[in-house]
Amino acid sequence: MNGWTGNILRVNLSTKSVKKETYSEEFALKWVGGRGFALKILWDELKPGIDPLGPDNKFIVALGPIAGIPAPNTGKTVVAAKSPLTGGYGDGNLGSRVTEHLRRAGYDILIVEGKADAPTYIHIEDDKVNFLPAQEVWGKGCYDTMNWLYKKHGKAAGILTIGQAGENLSLYAVVRSMEGRAGGRPGMGAVMGSKNLKAVVVKGTKPIPQADPQGMKTLGAGDLRKVQEIDKKTGWSKQSTTGVLAWCNEVAALPVRNMRKTHHPDAWKVDGERLNAARVATYGCPNCTMRCGITIHDREGHESELDYENIGMLGPNLEVFDLDQVGSLNYLCDDYGFDTISAGATLAFYADAIDHGVVSGDFKFGDAERAKQLLGMAARREGIGDLIAQGSLRMARKFGKGSEAYAMQVKGLELSAYNVKFTPGMALSFATSPIGAHHKEAWVITFEINQTPRESYGPEKAAKVIELQRIRGGLFEFIVACRFPWIELGWPLDNYSKYFNTVTGLNWTLDDFWKVSDRIYGLMKLFWLREFPDWNRTMDYPPPVCFDPSNADTEGPIAGKVLDEKKYDGLLQLYYDMRKWDRRGIPTRKTADALGLSQEAAVAEKYARLE
Amino acid sequence: MKIHVKMIGPLIYDVGFSEKEIEIPERTTAERLLELISVPKQRPRIVTRNGKAVAPHEELADGDRIAISPIYSGG
Repeated sequence: MNGWTGNILRVNLSTKSVKKETYSEEFALKWVGGRGFALKILWDELKPGIDPLGPDNKFIVALGPIAGIPAPNTGKTVVAAKSPLTGGYGDGNLGSRVTEHLRRAGYDILIVEGKADAPTYIHIEDDKVNFLPAQEVWGKGCYDTMNWLYKKHGKAAGILTIGQAGENLSLYAVVRSMEGRAGGRPGMGAVMGSKNLKAVVVKGTKPIPQADPQGMKTLGAGDLRKVQEIDKKTGWSKQSTTGVLAWCNEVAALPVRNMRKTHHPDAWKVDGERLNAARVATYGCPNCTMRCGITIHDREGHESELDYENIGMLGPNLEVFDLDQVGSLNYLCDDYGFDTISAGATLAFYADAIDHGVVSGDFKFGDAERAKQLLGMAARREGIGDLIAQGSLRMARKFGKGSEAYAMQVKGLELSAYNVKFTPGMALSFATSPIGAHHKEAWVITFEINQTPRESYGPEKAAKVIELQRIRGGLFEFIVACRFPWIELGWPLDNYSKYFNTVTGLNWTLDDFWKVSDRIYGLMKLFWLREFPDWNRTMDYPPPVCFDPSNADTEGPIAGKVLDEKKYDGLLQLYYDMRKWDRRGIPTRKTADALGLSQEAAVAEKYARLE
Repeated sequence: MKIHVKMIGPLIYDVGFSEKEIEIPERTTAERLLELISVPKQRPRIVTRNGKAVAPHEELADGDRIAISPIYSGG
C-alpha cells in the first residue's frame, strides 16, 4: 500500500500497554488520512455521551499520504478528540517535526487511550515505545517543557506538548510544538492534560513507503523552490498573514471590542507593516519555504511569534493597540498553551459583560496588564480565571442577564478574527464550520466583499462556502498539508493530486478528493447528531448579537447594518439544499448512502431520526 | 482633486509608501489611479473606496479614501 504506512500505534496510559495495529486499504481509500482517519476512529471507538475529559476519550494524532514528504508545505500534523469545549467532534492541525518522525517510525496514526496515574510523556523511537515520567515539568509552561525535552532528546525530535492550560483542563487549551506552533483549538490540549499526558516525543528513521520515491523527491524539491520564488516575487512573507489586518480595518471586518466595532483608528499600530518593522526572527513549519511566524520582542523581552489571528483577537478585539503588549499576551497564551483566539474572545466577552453591567469586575478593554494577570489566573484556574478558562459560552451562562447573545461563539468555539456583523457569507462559514466557529474551513470574506454584493444572501455565497470547505476543511486536512501555497500564492491545486498520485501510485483527480471531503463533512455532522440528538438548525447560526440592530455600526462602510435573521436562515437553507442535508442540517439517509456512509447512518439512527 | 490612498501588505514595498494624500485629475478611474502610483500590472489586487469594493472603470471623487490590497485568502 504505497503512500500509507498502513500502521496504527495504539497506546494505553492506564495499562501502559502498546499495540501496533494495521488498517486496511479500503479504510485508507475511503478516509485518506488526517481528519478523515481521526474522525472515523473516534466515530467507531467512542461511546456517545462520554466525558471528553475522562479516560474514555481518545487523543488521536493522524497524518496523511503526503504528510512529511518533502513538498510544499507538508509539515502539518492533525490532532483530534471529542471536544471538551463543544461536546462534538474536535480537531486541529499544527506544524511539527512529529509529522515526518511519526511516519518514519512507521505510523500514520497514534491513538492514546486511558489515563496515566502520574504525569507522563510518551517517547516513540521507531518500534520502541516508552512511558517516561514528566513530573519534573508538570506545572511548567510549553517553552520550559520543550527545552527540557530538547535537552533529553535533541532539537530534531518531534514534540507535541501542553502547558499549564492543558494540565488544568482549560477547555480551549491547545497542543503546542516547535517555536510558536499550536493546534487543536477545541481543547485538544485539555484532553492530553486529562490523561496526565504532558508530551509526545517521536523519532523515526525508516523510509516512508512511496510508489515513486525518486520521482517525488525531484518533484517535491523543485516545487518547494518554485513556491519560494513565488513568495519572494509577491513579497507575501514580508507581512505573512498579518497583511490582512489593514484590509479588514478598511472594509469594516476587524474584530474590535468583542466584535461590537468593526474598525478602529489605532488599528495601524498593530498591523502587518508595524509587525514587519519590529521583526527580530522568523519561524516556520518543517517543509515550508514561506515561513509565516513573524517574531518580535514582547514588552517583557520574550520572543513572541505572531500571526493575524493572534493580533486580531488579543489586540483590537481587546482594544490593545501596543504591539509589544499584544506580543506579551500572545507569548503568555503560547507558554500556558491557550488558544489565542478563544483566549482573546473570552477576555473580550468578560470586559463587555462588565461594561454592560451584568457582572462587576476590574477588567476593562485596553487594560493589557490586567489581561496578562487574568491569563495567569485562567491557567491556574484561580478566582475568575476558573471561569475564563472555560470559554465565553460557559461564562455567559454563568453571568446570565442576556449576555449569551454576545458571547462570540458558535457551538461553543469562539469566532476567529473576522467580524461578521455584516458579512452573511462569512457568518455562514463560521456557523457551518464542523468544529465550531473556525476560519480554517472556509474563508469567503474577500470573495464576498469584492466579487458579490456584500448584502447578498444568495446561492453564490453558499456555493463558495461549500467549495472552500471541500478544499480547506477537506483536502488539506486529509492529505495533510498546509493550504498557504494554494490560498496565498495561487499554487495550483492540481499539484496536490500530483503529489498524492506520485506517492500512492493512484490516479485520483480533484473530483475524487471532493467525494472524500463530502463524506467527512457528512460524518462530522452525524457525530454531532449522535452527541446531540435534539440537534436543530439554530446550532448553525452565528451569535444572536449579529442580528441585533442596536449593535449596528454608527459610522463607516456598514453603518446601520447588521445581519437579517430571516435572510440568513434562507442562506443556511441554500447551503443545506446544496449539501442535500435536511432542514436540521443533517445528511438525509439517501445522502448518507450516496456518500458511502450507510453503516454510519444505521448507527446514527439508533440515537436520532434520519430523514 | 485630492484623495487619500492606503496601500496594504506587500504592495507597500512595491510603490514605496503606505499611506498618503495625492492630487489626481478629475474623472480619474480606479484603474488609472493604479497606473498613476505604479502598482505593478501583474499584481492581482482589490481596490476599495470608503470601505466598499470599487470596479476598475469607476471614477473616483474628491475626498475618497482608496485602499489597495493584494487578494488575501484567509490564513
